Amino acid sequence: MIEVKNLSFVYSPKTPFTTQALFDINLSIETGDFFGIIGSTGAGKSTLVSHFNALTKIQKNSGAVIVDEIDLSAKKIDLKKLRAKVGMVFQYPEHQLFADTVLKDIMFGPKNLGINNAEAEQRARDAIALVGLDCAEIAERSPFELSGGQKRRVALAGVIAMHPEILVLDEPTAGLDPKGKREIMDLILRIKADCPTVVMISHNMDEIAEYCNKIAVLRRGRVMGVFSPRELFGSEELLESCGVELPLVTELAVKLNGLGVAVDKSVLTENELFEEIKKAVGVKNA
Amino acid sequence: MRDVSMGQYYPASSPVHRADPRFKLIILILYLVTVFFCDSFFSFGFMTLFVLITILLSRVPILKVLKSLRLIIIILVFTTLLMMIFYSDTTSAPLAEWGIFHIYLNGIYAAIKLGWRLMLLVLMPTVLTLTSTPTELCDGLESLLSPLKVLHLPVHELALIMSIALRLIPSLIEETDKIVNAQRARGAAFESRNPFKKIKAMIPVLIPLFVSSFRRADELADAMDSRCYRGAKGRTRMKKLKAKFSDFVALLFWCAITVCILFLNYNWLGWAFITALSL
Repeated sequence: MIEVKNLSFVYSPKTPFTTQALFDINLSIETGDFFGIIGSTGAGKSTLVSHFNALTKIQKNSGAVIVDEIDLSAKKIDLKKLRAKVGMVFQYPEHQLFADTVLKDIMFGPKNLGINNAEAEQRARDAIALVGLDCAEIAERSPFELSGGQKRRVALAGVIAMHPEILVLDEPTAGLDPKGKREIMDLILRIKADCPTVVMISHNMDEIAEYCNKIAVLRRGRVMGVFSPRELFGSEELLESCGVELPLVTELAVKLNGLGVAVDKSVLTENELFEEIKKAVGVKNA
Repeated sequence: MRDVSMGQYYPASSPVHRADPRFKLIILILYLVTVFFCDSFFSFGFMTLFVLITILLSRVPILKVLKSLRLIIIILVFTTLLMMIFYSDTTSAPLAEWGIFHIYLNGIYAAIKLGWRLMLLVLMPTVLTLTSTPTELCDGLESLLSPLKVLHLPVHELALIMSIALRLIPSLIEETDKIVNAQRARGAAFESRNPFKKIKAMIPVLIPLFVSSFRRADELADAMDSRCYRGAKGRTRMKKLKAKFSDFVALLFWCAITVCILFLNYNWLGWAFITALSL
């Protein structure tokens, strides 16, 4: 559970380059949530999530972040405990790979937590299997000779092997093809079985609508509100006032509806749209 | 990581910012040479006065400029200290001595002058980089060096390499920040006090940084190639450097200062007041 109270943040204070990235943010992310954070570029999404495991220190008198009773505005934080609890996957996580074998790279996180070699290796092998790679084939290869999609899985495995309770993902599917995107999202759902809380930043409204149960909309460093997907994507005024676009499936449903096809305008996933269309054209389930 | 203020451009609107970078570079060279001719406390004070005027004209907060001195503070302390204790002067009695160390009055003067000179040598280049963008500096340098093309020196290419290098410094810092954060999130111990652990913790940062630098270089080369970049031949500029009247005035002014310092140093005409100021 993450609680954000009156959080503000200023980049380069007291210089001509100073910019305020966050204004008085209040959020509550509960255990079990698949929490989406959306907003245009520069809205402060990445800055906000980097507070969740103290990568960005909370500035003086700028509010508080509390992660499972750990107060991050305190002077001394148990960073090891916090980073074991909150796993952070950045944009293009494959750029962080460094070791000479995949296995060693994934073991880096667990070993930093003080876990012994044998168990770290076991965790790494489990993580490789969980992200859908073939352990026997890939474990001893250099991470730099893998394909882009494989590299991203390895990077994800590196975080999963730390067994976090909260997983924070910053645009996990950026730069992947549609199939790769789907695979990564399925993978995240699989991870969620062990790691109950997931926070995801995304620009892809279809992913947000399909997977998240709560969505926070950020705009110019302020939270416009926290909604369920149906609330947000079902209300034209909200979409308008938050500057959010519809998911492609919903847009398609709205267009079809406008053309006189009897489909519900509020569908959020491909499957829902598929069922609606089947109903509208009168196809019986075979 | 973001605290690399040395040489960072400070945006402001001032006569110093607007001056032609070529003239700024020439004046800087002239200034550096002149500083080496300073000999008496009066001439040091005289130079410092004009440095301060330049800083005030540039509208850069004076503390920002003085911050650059932080980088040389160790050298400054060491050299002045060494100068003070090893200076030998046979014409006067030492003020104090321990074994091979002697402190003379003239030694103290020489040490102060040395420190002062070092500070003067660092301040002006800082003003230059604070008031000119890297692009301006590169353009200025290319233009100043262009006569060397006669000797088949690849001036344009050198300037290009320099401008790319300068341009990529902020990107590299940003990239380093990102990778450091990613590895910190994986529990890397940059916060550790143990220097060996700290060095070991740099490996997971340096390797991805190298990889991304090579990737960036490849991409940049491809991008230049696909825009048919072929080097200097037949290339024109969007922004041509133009010398203004005020640039010539500034140059003349600094030439006058140089002449003054030379006069203070050599006293060719044997003026009595210069002898009086020659401490």
